[in-house]
Amino acid sequence: MLIPRFNYHRPSTIKEACEIKAEFKNKAMFLAGGTDIIVNLKRGVISPERLISLNGIEELRLHSVDGRNGQTRIASCGTVSGLIREKFMLPYSALITGMESLGSPLIRNMATIGGNLATARPAADISPSLIAYNAKVVLTSASGKREVLMDDFFLGPGKTALNDDEILSEIVLDNPSSYAGSAYIKLGTRKALEISLVNVAAFLTLEKPDGPITGARIVMGAVGPVPLRARSAESILVGEKPGAALFAEAGKAAASKDSSPIDDFRGSAEYRRDMVKILTERALKKAVNDIR
Amino acid sequence: MKILINVTVNQKKYELAVEPNMTLADMIREELKLTGTKKGCGLGECGACTVLLDGKPVSSCLVLAIEADNRDVVTIEGVETEKGLHPIQQAFVEKGAIQCGFCTPGMVLSAKALLDENPHPDEQDIRKAISGNLCRCTGYQKIVEAVQSVSARK
Repeated sequence: MLIPRFNYHRPSTIKEACEIKAEFKNKAMFLAGGTDIIVNLKRGVISPERLISLNGIEELRLHSVDGRNGQTRIASCGTVSGLIREKFMLPYSALITGMESLGSPLIRNMATIGGNLATARPAADISPSLIAYNAKVVLTSASGKREVLMDDFFLGPGKTALNDDEILSEIVLDNPSSYAGSAYIKLGTRKALEISLVNVAAFLTLEKPDGPITGARIVMGAVGPVPLRARSAESILVGEKPGAALFAEAGKAAASKDSSPIDDFRGSAEYRRDMVKILTERALKKAVNDIR
Repeated sequence: MKILINVTVNQKKYELAVEPNMTLADMIREELKLTGTKKGCGLGECGACTVLLDGKPVSSCLVLAIEADNRDVVTIEGVETEKGLHPIQQAFVEKGAIQCGFCTPGMVLSAKALLDENPHPDEQDIRKAISGNLCRCTGYQKIVEAVQSVSARK
């Protein structure tokens, strides 16, 4: 399988990368891990005139923990397998589970967290957890940077809030408060190299060890054009004590009110809806068990 | 337009002029004539083209050759030592973990990366480490046994 011809750029700073992107706009694409872009180039799905490699930019690999503001800042070109091993990732168990289920070891060694977000696939394994944690992304251009909530980042399949001249440079996570727990569950038919049929991420915060729930964020993947918040399920949870009956009720609401799955060759809409109910329930149970 | 890159393959330094749209798999096979690296799906799904890039197994069909500039590549040809077959290769032979052989280079390299990092993996670790390498002949059991036997010997 051949890759069409393109011009290749290899900037060494974010600024330089942004300047090249600003010059060529949508005729140029950023190349990070390449695990999606190279496949799409080979399949003829995309044919950019230019590729701007981000792999020579050191600052896109430097993660930092900002203790003063209680934030973890993940550099966008961190590889998935590299991030899984980082100590600062430990509080974000839903995110780690998502990253562990992405592709295969061969893919995880190349794929980057920022690339996974920028390709904006509706079934992606990383985005639901990041939305559940209420993470932000930093979008940088030659003229400055802006922060966008993950809630507002995805606009449709393959479409994001990134402008033509912007680069996704960082992912910012608030350090979880006490009595918070999270979980991610992916449903597929295989354990590796699988695209989710349905996935659900849940993030719960309690007032004290035995409740009540003060914050609930549930995000469902592969049941809509973008990862969706299960807002009616969330509102059922807040103010209540965690428990099996409550979680079952939340699962029902997520399936009937919050998701909009479609039929495709991976599964029917009806099946997906049923699975949203079950996965939501299970993710909530798992999130409670994760509370530290 | 070709671009000049410096790449180390199997501990040997090369200076190569490559087209930006050439993959690392094609560079290894066509330019260096190291045909032990196999090409299967070309889309990162089968693992036949696995090589170690800076010690980590990757699908070389999804890496551009120019992106390997100043990096270290190990292919199956670089696994054998002057003493003969690498213990993993020897174990594959002894345990009958090879049938058609097409997945073998990738399997051996994924197993090597695992054992380099964790000399005593359990069965789950092994199965996880080779989960990106598809084998259509042996059903994995003998491959897993071969890797386990190397781990036991260490």
